[in-house]
This record gives sequence, C-alpha cells and structure tokens, in this order.
Amino acid sequence: MDAFNNFLTGTVTLFSDPVGVLIFFGGVVGGMLFGAIPGVSMLTLAAILLPFTAHLSPEHGIMLFSVIYCTGVYGGAITAILFNIPGAPENAPTAFDGYPMTQNGEAGKAVGAAVMCSAIGGVASCIVMMAATAAIADWAISAFGPPEIFALVFFGLAVAASVGAKSFWKGWLSIMAGLMIAVVGLDPVGGLERYNFDMPYLAAGIHFIPTILGFFAVSEIFVQAEKKATGSYNAPKLSVAFPTFKELWQHKIAVVRSAIIGFFCGVLPGIGATLAAFMGYNEAVRWSKDKEGFGKGKMEGVISSETANNAATGAAMIPLLALGLPGGALTAMMVGVFQMHDMEPGPLVFLNSPDLVWVVFAAMFFANLSILLVGFLEAKTIVNLLRIPFQYLAPLILLLATVGAYAVRGLTIDVVVMFVAGVAGFFLRRSGYSVAGIVLGLILGKIGEQTFAQAMQMLHFEFSGFLNRPIALGLLIAGFITILASVYGAFFKKQPASTGTA
Amino acid sequence: MGKLTKGQIVEGAFWLILAAFFFAYSFEFNNNIEIYKYGATLWPRVILLLIALAAIGQLLDQRKNGDASSTSKIAAIHEDSAQDTQYNSLGWYINTFILLCLPFAYMIVPDIIIEKTGTPEEGAAKVNIICGAVLFLAYIVISWRNHVGAILTLPLFFAAMMQDMGFYALAPVFIIGVMILMGERRPTRMAMVMPLIYGILIAFFVSLLYVGLPTGYISPFYDFGTWMVNTFQ
Repeated sequence: MDAFNNFLTGTVTLFSDPVGVLIFFGGVVGGMLFGAIPGVSMLTLAAILLPFTAHLSPEHGIMLFSVIYCTGVYGGAITAILFNIPGAPENAPTAFDGYPMTQNGEAGKAVGAAVMCSAIGGVASCIVMMAATAAIADWAISAFGPPEIFALVFFGLAVAASVGAKSFWKGWLSIMAGLMIAVVGLDPVGGLERYNFDMPYLAAGIHFIPTILGFFAVSEIFVQAEKKATGSYNAPKLSVAFPTFKELWQHKIAVVRSAIIGFFCGVLPGIGATLAAFMGYNEAVRWSKDKEGFGKGKMEGVISSETANNAATGAAMIPLLALGLPGGALTAMMVGVFQMHDMEPGPLVFLNSPDLVWVVFAAMFFANLSILLVGFLEAKTIVNLLRIPFQYLAPLILLLATVGAYAVRGLTIDVVVMFVAGVAGFFLRRSGYSVAGIVLGLILGKIGEQTFAQAMQMLHFEFSGFLNRPIALGLLIAGFITILASVYGAFFKKQPASTGTA
Repeated sequence: MGKLTKGQIVEGAFWLILAAFFFAYSFEFNNNIEIYKYGATLWPRVILLLIALAAIGQLLDQRKNGDASSTSKIAAIHEDSAQDTQYNSLGWYINTFILLCLPFAYMIVPDIIIEKTGTPEEGAAKVNIICGAVLFLAYIVISWRNHVGAILTLPLFFAAMMQDMGFYALAPVFIIGVMILMGERRPTRMAMVMPLIYGILIAFFVSLLYVGLPTGYISPFYDFGTWMVNTFQ
C-alpha cells in the first residue's frame, strides 16, 4: 500500500509541474523518434542531452533519461520491422520476424504488435519495479555473481545458435565469429593488445555500433540491391492494419513468458534488454509448435522480443537505483546525471530523495502507457515511409548509417568498418549464416570473457567451484544440453527422403 | 552418404584456415598476466577450437546429409541464401574480389607513391586526386558487367575517400551513384531527389544536431566542406 501511495504522490508531483510535463513529453517523443530513425538511436539523443541536464533539477534530469530509455527501446522496433534495421541491439530479434511480416504486407500488424507488447512489457515491469525493488535487488545481487552471469551468457549463446542461421553449425559459427570480433582490442584483465596487426585503430577494439549498422542496415541494402539486379525484388507491401485484440490474445502466454524473462534479464547488471530480447525470442521458438514459421513473418516473434526488451527497462532501474550499478549504456549515462548534481545512485537515494525515485517510477509507468497512444499515431505515419521507392530509400539509409557510424567516435575508419561489415554480412547471409548471431556474439563476448575471468579468480581457478553454485551450474547444464541436443539433431535425426545430396 | 561439393569444401577450409591463422597469431600476445593465470590467450583459443570443431562438424554433417544438412528447425534467413544466378559463379567472385580491393588500394597506394617519390606536402593532394580518379575509372571498367559487385564496392569507395575529400563533397555523388546502381535512369528524378536527401541530412544532422561531419583536407573539397559547415551549422 505504501508503494501505491508513493506512486500516487509521484504522479501528482510529475503532472503538477508544467516544466516536468514538458520534459516528460519531450522525452517520450524524442525517444521514439530517435529510436525510429535508422542510423541513430536513443543513445545518440541521450549523449546529446547529457551536458544540458546540468541545467535541470535532478528529478527532471533522471526522469528525462528514464523516459527516453522506455520509449527509445520501443522506437528501435519500428526500423527493425520496416527496414530490417534494428534501432538498437535489443531490437535485433524483432527484425527476425518483423521484417518478413513487412515483406508479406503485414507491416501494420507487426508495428501494432510491437506497440501493444512494448507497452504491456514496460508497464508490467514498472509495476513489479515499484512493488519489489528492494527485495529483488537484494536477491539478484546476492545470487548473481560473475559465475552466474557468465553461465547466463553461455546459456544465451547456446540457445541463440539455433536461431537465424540455415543450420545449427552455421548458427554456431556465426556466434563464434562475433565472439572473435569482440576479442580484438585489449584483453579485459591484463590490458594486453590482441589481434591489432600493428594497426592503432584495432588496438582500441572494433566498436559495436558500426559493426551492427554494417551487418544489419548495409547488408540489407546489398541483399535488396542484388534482388533488384536479378529481377527478384518485391517492394514491401504497405499496410496500416493493426492486429485485432483476438490476434493478440492468442499470444497471451508468450507475452507473460517474455515479460518474466525480460524482467529477470533486465535486473542483472550488464545484461539488460539485449539478452532479454534474444532470450524472449528463443523461448518463444522453443515452446512453439510451429518452429518452422519463425523467421518467416510470425507475429509471436515480434511479440516475444518486444515484450521482453521493454520489460527489461523497468528492471534495469533496480540495480541502478538500489545499488548504483548501471545495466547498460543509457543507465550508465544516468549515473552521469546523478554525479552532475553531486549525488550518487544507491540505497541512500531512497532515503534522501524519495521524491526523485517516485517521480521517476511514475514517469516510466506513464511513458510506457504513452507508447500505446503516441506509438500508434507515430506508427500510422512512419509506415508510409514504405511508399518511398527503394532506389531513393537506399542512398538515404546508407548515408544515415554513415553519419551514425561516424558520429560515435568521429573516425572515418569506423565508416569503412561499417561497409566492410556490410559486405561480409552480404556474403554470410548468402551462405546461410546469421548476422544476428554474429552481433550477439560481439556484444556478449566482452561480458562473457570479463565475467569468466572474474569467476575464475573468485573460484581460485577451480572449475569445480561452479558445482557449489546451483544457479550457475543449472544454467551451464541447460546450455550444454541445448548444444548436445542440436548436435544430436544434426547427425542422427532422419532427414526427409526428398532432400538429396549435392 | 553424400559427397561434398566444391563450395562446401571451400567453406569448411575457410573456417579451418581462419582458425589456424588466428591461433598462430595468438602467440604474439601470449604473455603472462600476474593476476590471471590463463593469460590473454585462453578465451580466443577456446573460441578458435570451437570454430574448428563446428567447421568439421558441418563438413561431416554435409557429407552425411548433403544439402539436407542445411535445413534447421528455425531458418530465418532462407531467402538470402545463395541463389543460382550469374552472381554466383567463380568468375563473378574473382571480379568482385578485384573490385573490393580498389577502395583499399586508394587507402594505401597514394601514401606509397608519396613516400617513394618524396612528393612535398603541397603535391600530395594531387597524388591523392589522381590515384582516386584512376582507381574510380578502373572501378567503372571492371564493374561494367558486374552490377552487384559495383553496388558492394561503391560505399567502400565513398568511405575510403571520405577522409581526404570529406562527406559534404562526396555525398551528392554517392547519392546519384547509388540511385543509378539501384536502377534509376531518369535525370530529372535524380536531380530532384539528390538535393532532397542531401538537404534532409544537412538540416537534421548539421544544422539541428551540430554533428561534425568530415570536411576532408584536400582543396577544393575541404573548402566546400568548410563552407557548408560555416553556412549551415
């Protein structure tokens, strides 16, 4: 009841302040817009705004970032669905089925499902966040150390190997390729340079934003260009027909499952919405009776991914506000906002600034609700981008991606890396590899290696130490079973008689 | 029991050679880390071992099941798999490989020429422009009958030249180039769409967001880029 009263107080405080209301709606629209523009993301907006938050009150600054976080995660789904360009890594699984839906003339349904499920996932996550922040933070932080996070990464990668590629082997090779890209640069323990080939640029590692833009946006342009050259190009069919309530109700279990997965992934520092989206999608595939339908335009794929990644946003605030641990890039920027106001996020914030905490909670709740309204209006207009002929859209997307890649560090070599990744992605996709697998390997590779090193140091370099940690052990066993089952399926399952040898 | 195709053998060999090369290179940073007995090499070497195992597993699977081995439960990107087109022959791959080397030649060759000939700083820009023109001409000639290769290479050329010639001067040419390669042939449409795309980008990123895009350093490209920044930012 205390939580409910605090929430009401936070809501009144938020909406009784005209400046607060203005900042709230600015964050809602800005997050959605930047999330939806190919080549930029909510992180671009947050980075631009960060210095200006010094002129705002701490409540307004943190609230603005939390609102951008909620709506930006949803906004990235729009480009993932319409152009196969995920606005952020957490929207990558949305593209698996969202983009085929667009090609099938169901763009409106895919966007509608994303709007609904992002709002549901986000609101559910906010409610749990408000009700159980303290208890969940205590449990997660005490139960999830480096061994558990490493085991979770391993399990996530093992499951992801079966998604997106033409075969288990190609899926596994895709993930391994991503992990190898992540190895380039400094090793996370000793700071030794690895695979830099005496090039100063490689010493700092390959940045994931140009790589993601290359593998998704650029390779997609190349694939479509090849289709145009071979005469097999079909323009995406325009549709603004949103899904019916009945259609969404059929996926209620997927929504609940993904919300739970998203919440638990989000609460873990460093894991966040990306793994949540992949896990939500993978579990949807695993539990579905129609596994073959995934990747070809199945609404459940969009629903699972979008519910999970928005469910992670509320959860990501728990370690940030309760313990001062940021879960990702945007929450790390929020730490910067706190510091600019001479504050430190952590347990003391709840004691010293309860108003701030509950204004932020209320703002996140209403930001997720506003996805429903503003999201539908935005979707109705943005779907019309599909009317633009591809020969005009292609240079625009390539140049947006160029600006996005360059703006990260101001290096033209990042643009070269992006286009090299685009060419590589084009050839890998032709051969049946999964660019999403590569990107997942790239993002989780660094977390995986770092947590593995921390885990081994913690366990005194004894692998048997994992036996004493039931959560880590369970996740590792589940990961190994997933891999073994896939290997067994590849070698020993009977193949259809009609498929001959090459 | 099937027989492996040439493509499958090449694919398997690619991964195995890649793994072997990176394994051999890992000795370059095989130093001790005091607080971490596995050093900086354990993680990449385990990944390389898994790459080798997966490549061998794929070859065995393909040998056993032929093309059927490619059919997974969840194949999301089937439509992108290699197609039986003119863009899938050995000749096409060789032609495309040569094309893809051209932008990288631009990044290397002018520096070599400048170094070997001892060209003074004021003459270096001319070397860059001449090299760029020659290589771009070679690109047009080699890609004449290789449409897909041309599309893959053009953005790399754009990126490679951006450091010297800047975003502002190259972007209009790039927009028109991509439109032509995507099948647009109407000059009036191109004349209308190019300024529109260019204008949107400049208005949004330069005027609104103050994003500092590369101006290049070779005159007159640099002068144009600086003028654009001064006018619109």
